[in-house]
Amino acid sequence: MIRSLNILLVCSSICMLVAVYALKYSAEDVAAEKVTLQRTIERQQADLSLLKADWAFLNQPANVAPIVNRHVAELDLQPLSQDQFGGIDILPMRLKAPDTQALDSLFESLKSGVDPIQQIISESN
Amino acid sequence: MVALDAGGAPIAFDGARKVRRHLTKARIRWVIVALVLIFGAVAGRLVQLGLVVQDNTIEGRARDLITATRPAILDRNGLELAVDVRVPSLFAEPRRIIDVNEAADAIHSVLPDVNVDWLRQRLTGDKGFVWIKRELTPAIEDKIMQLGIPGLDFVTESKRFYPGGPEASHILGAVNIDNQGIAGIEKAIDNDDVALLQQVGLARGNELAPVNLSIDLRVQHVMHDVLVDAISRYQADDASGIMMDIKTGEVLGLVSLPDFDPNNPVTALQKDSFNRITAGIYELGSTMKSVTIAGALDSGKVKITDSFDARFGVRFGRFTIDDFHGKHRILTVPEIYKYSSNVGAIHVMQAWGKENFRAFLHKLGFDQPEPLQLPEKRNPVVPKTFSDIVAATSAFGHGLSVSPVAMLRAMAAFANDGKMVMPTLYKTSLDDAQKTYEQVVSEKTSEEMRYIMRLNALEGSGTRMNKFAQGYRAGGKTGTAEKVINGRYDSGKVLSLFASVFPLDQPRYAMMILVDNPHTEPGQGGHTAGWNAGEATGRIIARVAPMLGISPNFDPMLDSQLVPPELH
Repeated sequence: MIRSLNILLVCSSICMLVAVYALKYSAEDVAAEKVTLQRTIERQQADLSLLKADWAFLNQPANVAPIVNRHVAELDLQPLSQDQFGGIDILPMRLKAPDTQALDSLFESLKSGVDPIQQIISESN
Repeated sequence: MVALDAGGAPIAFDGARKVRRHLTKARIRWVIVALVLIFGAVAGRLVQLGLVVQDNTIEGRARDLITATRPAILDRNGLELAVDVRVPSLFAEPRRIIDVNEAADAIHSVLPDVNVDWLRQRLTGDKGFVWIKRELTPAIEDKIMQLGIPGLDFVTESKRFYPGGPEASHILGAVNIDNQGIAGIEKAIDNDDVALLQQVGLARGNELAPVNLSIDLRVQHVMHDVLVDAISRYQADDASGIMMDIKTGEVLGLVSLPDFDPNNPVTALQKDSFNRITAGIYELGSTMKSVTIAGALDSGKVKITDSFDARFGVRFGRFTIDDFHGKHRILTVPEIYKYSSNVGAIHVMQAWGKENFRAFLHKLGFDQPEPLQLPEKRNPVVPKTFSDIVAATSAFGHGLSVSPVAMLRAMAAFANDGKMVMPTLYKTSLDDAQKTYEQVVSEKTSEEMRYIMRLNALEGSGTRMNKFAQGYRAGGKTGTAEKVINGRYDSGKVLSLFASVFPLDQPRYAMMILVDNPHTEPGQGGHTAGWNAGEATGRIIARVAPMLGISPNFDPMLDSQLVPPELH
């Protein structure tokens, strides 16, 4: 009776020993993994902060304005002047019905070989 | 136990069992003693280990403090004004370094600007921590790691980066290498709470909520751009300006030139680059006439329809005060403002009373340091009581030195139905701002002030400004203050000012522009304030008004609606 109990106890302590050591090693592995992950996170946070700073720098008016100034001539850029603003209320209302007379006269003049729009363009040139 | 020999002493024998039992007892005792000793030693060692204080400090400062972050600073639209960049810093543990010479040479091969002798000296000894070089790049970190020298390691530090460079420098200030604010809003934040958070170690990682400033980066950029242009255009010594929302008190832009690069904090300490808006006090010249006239109108002792005799200068003993561009006739109150008549302003002030004038200046906070959150401040110089002559010169802005912010606040109040708001650099809601309102003049006075401000832009000294800001219904007052050079007023050196509000039909923004010692722009008319500070104001308004959602309106009705009923 006592003998079998002893065998049982010895076996269980060996098992415990193995388990505890396994646990210890796995804990060490996890700790090492944690440190690696922390390093990676730290590195990525650093990279992210650099990218964010880059983004902020590139978006600054102080950075964009010189780029605009460099391309003023090529893109024919001009500051918006006050008389170039408009509102929806200053647009004329749409005509209730098409102006049939004007359209007829336009088609007639086109038929006879005279293009009034082309005339306006050539006059303005 | 049997006696074998009755004659002799009895011999007692212990049984074999008994002997063994005794022996076992003794052995157990020894084992117990040994075990107690062993476990005692273990316990003692544990206590000893528990008592060891680990040196976590870096040259006397806690490691957490070094790696602590600061909150990002954003403008009102969420654009970054200041961010933290995580950078590696190289340190060494000299007691773990085996070959000092080898280590020093190896580090020198990667960081050639570090002196080898200095390195050797630094790496010798048995210290636990010395900095080698702080704030490096990840590429250099990799190279040094590849050297494989024991005893070298990196700490990830936070470094402050200001993407806008000098543009908002006077608002932001700067931080030192240990990430502590040394000027501007950075210092103000520290004074508030970040320093405390860092102390208790809470400011690690990116946990801090960003700080939202009231600054609009676009407005800030335009103001900076125009003022840089103004310095070269008018060959001025320096220029500065501030713009505020008159409803909420939020400062949208604050520029003071010359400025500095906050990424290089050493430049912040240069003598000339102080914040002229908050830390400068000036004689504000004729812009003060806005205050004189507003106060007098509000008292009821002077009416907008009144006229004053400006034919002759005003005599005080030996001195006579006369007008710069005198009309030398009888002027109405709006004309005094329009022609910027010193004599007229003195008469208005005298009709109102110099004690009332002084009390009104106190009400407007002219004798207090300006209330913005920046730590750079200076006390204004305003005499406690006004003598006749000081009251007279103060009526047109000489003899008292105040911050431009105080003047800005007063102009904003005159336009905002007489309600003076507390200016702030932090984003604020209208409700919170309204709690700080102080009624300094009546709504009626405010209406009259809006009229004469606009009148001055249409017909008076603000026409140059209005030429650039057509359609934005801006108005304001010029000021040309002679500067005191060696204790005397020098008419050759002036400070030009322009205090403005726009759009006056629905007033929303107030601005102060200062141009120091301007000259006539080649091919242009003059060097009085309208030609420089006024023009700069106009250029700024023309560029920022569309950004702020104000569309130009050329309807003449808007201007005529500003005319008070008495003057129809």
